[in-house]
Amino acid sequence: MGILKSVSDWFETRLGIKDLVEKNLTGYLLPRNINFWYSMGSVVLFIFVMQVLTGILLLVYYIPESDKAFGSVVGIMNRVPFGWLIRMCHVVGSSMMVLFVLFHMLSVLFMGSYKRPRELNWLSGFILFTLVQAICLTGYLLPWSQLSFWATTVATNSVGAIPHIGKFLVEFLRGGTLVGPPTLGRFYTLHIAVIPVLLATVIGAHLFFLERIGVSTPPFGLDNTKNRWQGDAFRYEEHPGGIPFFPNYLLRDMTSIAVYFVLLATIVFFFPNLCFTKDAFVQANPFQTPAHIKPEWYFLANYQTLKLFPNEFIGLSIQGAAMTFLALLPFIDRGNEKHPLKRPLFLAAAIGGILLFIALMVWGHYS
Amino acid sequence: MDSSRRRFLFACLGGVAAVGAGLALYPVYNYLAPNKTGANEEKVSIPESDILPGDAKFFDFRGETGVIVHKKSGELIALSAVCTHLGCIVQWESAKQDFLCPCHGGRYTEDGVVISGPPPRPLGKLPFTVAGGAIIVG
Repeated sequence: MGILKSVSDWFETRLGIKDLVEKNLTGYLLPRNINFWYSMGSVVLFIFVMQVLTGILLLVYYIPESDKAFGSVVGIMNRVPFGWLIRMCHVVGSSMMVLFVLFHMLSVLFMGSYKRPRELNWLSGFILFTLVQAICLTGYLLPWSQLSFWATTVATNSVGAIPHIGKFLVEFLRGGTLVGPPTLGRFYTLHIAVIPVLLATVIGAHLFFLERIGVSTPPFGLDNTKNRWQGDAFRYEEHPGGIPFFPNYLLRDMTSIAVYFVLLATIVFFFPNLCFTKDAFVQANPFQTPAHIKPEWYFLANYQTLKLFPNEFIGLSIQGAAMTFLALLPFIDRGNEKHPLKRPLFLAAAIGGILLFIALMVWGHYS
Repeated sequence: MDSSRRRFLFACLGGVAAVGAGLALYPVYNYLAPNKTGANEEKVSIPESDILPGDAKFFDFRGETGVIVHKKSGELIALSAVCTHLGCIVQWESAKQDFLCPCHGGRYTEDGVVISGPPPRPLGKLPFTVAGGAIIVG
């Protein structure tokens, strides 16, 4: 113990660790009425770290060439020891990341935590949501199966609906007229290098904004649920008498992460084919489009919306408008009330939006 | 809480964390470790007519490089082609009927015995048989 104390004292005199621990851990107070929904962000961060780690492991055996990619993935699944486990964690983890980002977003929406002065938190979070969708889209192509190839064809085709520059954008995205080996090169670079760096950067900004302004108080169990921000000067939202982040809320975060692990393990070990259709087990054939090709569940609503409108550009514009509305929500919803039950218009629109999303998703699956 | 009880609970938590870390690291280690399945049973067959007297043929053998020398006397010998100095692949010099390692100039006889240079040991011998006009190594 003497040596440990000496080492600890050496770092303390050079870095002031005790002060850092006091400011950011034991002295970082959170509102007493905080609930488990506040741990969704930590779960998403954990999933991101797991995706990076499993992704790096997959890079050891994956070959990013169109004639070898599928074979390398089959090799990982069937020949490399525990390759199936690493790959399944990565595949299921990608769907879980989208799911938990949606949970996190919904909890922020319902508790009014997007309202001023947290517009930057919301905007950075929205950018993260878009980047998560982009990384899922680019990663989907890499196994080079029939499902990968044709789902990417459908997804990249939709960009062509943009007037004047659509065709150019599609070809630029694909690296050619059709999805092919150049597309794999581009999507591979985006998936393993560009988007992860962007994600890490924006996550850093997101956490900085959170740290700077302070955690918002949940509107539950309080008499006054209105937003108390004056708007005249910067003020850190303190929670005197609150619970410390370490060890109390960190334990809550770890509990939520453990629950996530149970969900991940259940799907990986007991329902491994949940994330795959039969087209995922056949190598890509550019001359044969399979029947009923569909995107992943999180793009089904977009896919069905495009099918509903006769003009693809209108379909894209409506989705663009919806996303823009969502991105600018803190600037549109300027009311002070945070409790969802005291915001009937918001509640109706939010529940309507969620039901519409689920309905379009189910419709897209069965259509 | 009684401090001895707290220490006990922390020790249990530490144990669970260690088991969890082991459970996570075991598959990752096996995933990354080089695959040795079947490596000790693999045999290589080379037609005898492929190697003329005074010539040598290099081949892959169980993840390493081997060489068969057909001496001018008619005798065959199978050796590891990995230089015992620092692991470079030796080259057959048919004019001198010996092996030269291009990395640091180590030289071996046609039987793999060190003539000169830094190699500390002779080239390893590989087991082989000749049957039906084929040299079977391993």
